[in-house]
Amino acid sequence: MNVQEFMDRLLRTAGKNGIDPAEIYYTDADSFSANAQDTEIDSYEVSSSCSLSIRGSVNGKMGYASTEAFDEEALAYLIRAVKESAALNEAEEQDEIYAGDESYPEIETEEDDLDSVSAEEKLQMALTAEKASREADPRIKQSEGATIQTSVFHAVMRNTHGLKLENARKLYVAYASPIAKDGDATATGFKMKYGRKLRELDPVRLGREAAADAVSQLHAEPVASGEYRIIIRYDAMQSLLSTFVGIFSAENAQQKMSLLAGREGEEIASRVVSITDDPLRKGGLATSSFDGEGSAAFTKAVVDKGVLKTLLHNRRTAKKQGVKTTGNARRAGGMHVAPTNFYLEPGEKTLEELLRDMGDGLLITDVSGLHAGANPISGDFSLLAKGFVIRGGQQAEPVERITVAGNFYQLLKSIRAVGCDLEFPGSAIGSPSVDAGVMAVSGK
Amino acid sequence: MLLQTQVAEEVLARAVSTGADFGEIFMEDQTGQNIILRSGRIETVSSGRTHGAGIRIFVGTRAIYVYTNDTSREGLLACAEKAAAAVNQGTGCKTVPFRVTHAERPEEIPQLPTDVATDRKAEKLREADRAARAYSDEIAQVQIRYLDRVQDVLICNTEGTFVTDRRVYTRMAVSAVASDGKENQSGSMSPGGLMGFEAFEKRIDPAYCGREAARQAVTMLHAPVCPAGVFPVVIDNGFGGVIFHEACGHSLEATSVAYGISEFSGRLGEMIAAPCVTAIDDGTILNEWGSTHVDDEGMPTGKLVLIDHGRLVNYMIDKLGSRRMKMPPTGSGRRESYAWAPTSRMRNTYIAAGEDDEAAMIAEMKEGLYAKYMGGGSVNPATGEFNFAVNEGYWVRDGKIVHPVRGASLIGRGSDVIMKIDRVGRDCRQAQGMCGSISGSIPVNVGQPMIRVSSLTVGGR
Repeated sequence: MNVQEFMDRLLRTAGKNGIDPAEIYYTDADSFSANAQDTEIDSYEVSSSCSLSIRGSVNGKMGYASTEAFDEEALAYLIRAVKESAALNEAEEQDEIYAGDESYPEIETEEDDLDSVSAEEKLQMALTAEKASREADPRIKQSEGATIQTSVFHAVMRNTHGLKLENARKLYVAYASPIAKDGDATATGFKMKYGRKLRELDPVRLGREAAADAVSQLHAEPVASGEYRIIIRYDAMQSLLSTFVGIFSAENAQQKMSLLAGREGEEIASRVVSITDDPLRKGGLATSSFDGEGSAAFTKAVVDKGVLKTLLHNRRTAKKQGVKTTGNARRAGGMHVAPTNFYLEPGEKTLEELLRDMGDGLLITDVSGLHAGANPISGDFSLLAKGFVIRGGQQAEPVERITVAGNFYQLLKSIRAVGCDLEFPGSAIGSPSVDAGVMAVSGK
Repeated sequence: MLLQTQVAEEVLARAVSTGADFGEIFMEDQTGQNIILRSGRIETVSSGRTHGAGIRIFVGTRAIYVYTNDTSREGLLACAEKAAAAVNQGTGCKTVPFRVTHAERPEEIPQLPTDVATDRKAEKLREADRAARAYSDEIAQVQIRYLDRVQDVLICNTEGTFVTDRRVYTRMAVSAVASDGKENQSGSMSPGGLMGFEAFEKRIDPAYCGREAARQAVTMLHAPVCPAGVFPVVIDNGFGGVIFHEACGHSLEATSVAYGISEFSGRLGEMIAAPCVTAIDDGTILNEWGSTHVDDEGMPTGKLVLIDHGRLVNYMIDKLGSRRMKMPPTGSGRRESYAWAPTSRMRNTYIAAGEDDEAAMIAEMKEGLYAKYMGGGSVNPATGEFNFAVNEGYWVRDGKIVHPVRGASLIGRGSDVIMKIDRVGRDCRQAQGMCGSISGSIPVNVGQPMIRVSSLTVGGR
């Protein structure tokens, strides 16, 4: 049966089986990806996929199930699974199925050209970017490829209260990963672009910038272990913020997994730190007029000049705390809390000015191993990092095989200045570069 | 049967019709259940069914992959059409008639998860929760996840492979948080196996996992921060094997070797590790989390020695890598689901037992770090730079363990660290993890006996 018919029948059947109210969330996505490596198209991928999840209340307890098959068997499976799931649900605070808000914000959509760019053109772009990397510098000898991806995503939410909401998103992502070699030294480079107008992408520039990134890292060495003045570039800071973003979740706070519990109104960061969650941001990767449970989305200050204004809530966590939802419900199995377009508000100085103000120290351009070396519960991190020595405010020799260690809660307090270079590197979470004060570095 | 042979033939013929020299269908129907317990209560039970198919064709070393949820004949033909449209150079390859087989599955699954009532599963989570909370008043939170998967797959290709397989996984992950109100520290235990619910009789002891996770968290809450610098490091058995997985394993996968990117490319036959190091990737260990019957390209699994007493003897090679490297595949093609094209991946990868005395390793190391439990890690195969976290570490001075240390990480270069392994203990253990790479997240084991690395950069504060 077709999906529309499946959804209609599922909601009807749910009611007949005592699952009331019930809600469906359906997504479908089409994607294309081509990778050029060693001057030829090496892989090419096309997909169309869809999935449906249902949640429904049985005797006041919520049950959850999902499927990617849409036949009679799947229908019976979902009903059975929701009932079984609800029967075991012991949560003190139950999620509710929401009838919806009176109105939803208008989302300003950016134009796109993705439907009009042919597969052949995309392949050419990937080849051009990879070739540009190779031609940019004689030390670019290999590559992990250059990739062009496009995707179209569409979501429908429907419930038995009569709520029906839809959201759609289109995007291209392009990146190049050349490898530079010089004698025994090897360095990898990376550059990524994303957006909605693929024809505006300059693949030659993408390839060259990635090549410059690789070459700049050649002959990098560790520095001596010790305490250093540190500036964290926007992309590395974005990695850190993404890793620790969960500390701003009221769900984590209520579960004693975040030390920000009960600290609304307190100074939790330095005065130069303001953090915003903006689901309405034009062109954002998490832009939507509604959240995972159908609440209207709105823009909010999470941290204002160092003061924690609010944690992120869904309807359940808000009710428990006696506040209103912030429209940050996220479906993932059950109903959870997640940021939308979430970023550190930019300051006024350029990265160059931040470096000049610092004088001597390190610029950190990349941190890796975040899933292991960073503990979102304690806030502790000790991460493999790359970057450059900064001497007299100028970028000097490259650095690698060092770790930068600290605690994210303390980092928020020790930020001395925030740059103006806010970026969202292929993510809904964004950051400018920051002057992080003094941090511990382990090297040679 | 997920797919009739006539339909499969028709779809493959269509996929290769424009000049491909190889075609493959991977079809999957998977049912899984996740249960989450937090704050002492079952919070979410969610069941899901994953269903779809991926069609892959090769033109020389070029790979085209198309996937869909629509596994009807029409859906698959449409998919094949899209794949064929990416090629335009002839009439396609010959197809070998199917040899219809079922993968040999050495393990018995007496309690298929789909046949076990959910409340019996929930009871295991409660048992772990009670044990963790009973360990100390400082335990502020316990989160426990249970998961099971029953994955039915069918893999067929133009070379005559037509094989079905069933993979049954069960795992429990306990995470405990200890807090003194100002600081939080966590501990975790995550055992699992290629098993059904009988895993809870044979392998997973929920109470032990709860206590162990709680003990780690409380120990770390009272531990000072690890010193930074270059030190000798002793890494305990079991999950300690993540060091080989990151420092070396990924760099021996065709995914990087075939492109000449890996620091171990072109070094077959050379001494790449200390002579005390023998490393193995073995898909055949009964009931192990990373074991396979056939790989996700339909090839029977096996046991592969990677490093023999320091000498590099094998790479892990998938079908596409095999074409690039002009070497036979090793049954290493794996993927998370139909939504990922397969590539070369690890299975149960471990350093084999040696002959060194464990107690002497620490006693003879002067000052350094003893890493009892490792966390995860990552590597850049092009440069060999790796990093991983130490979840529970102890500082050693004058050959004696003096106190626990928190927040340590280990970094280095793979080719360098495996040369610096100077002791290999006798008791090799396996531990379970999820490994992420370009074909998604898959279950793998890491393993080793206790080892010592003569010098390694320890990240701390």
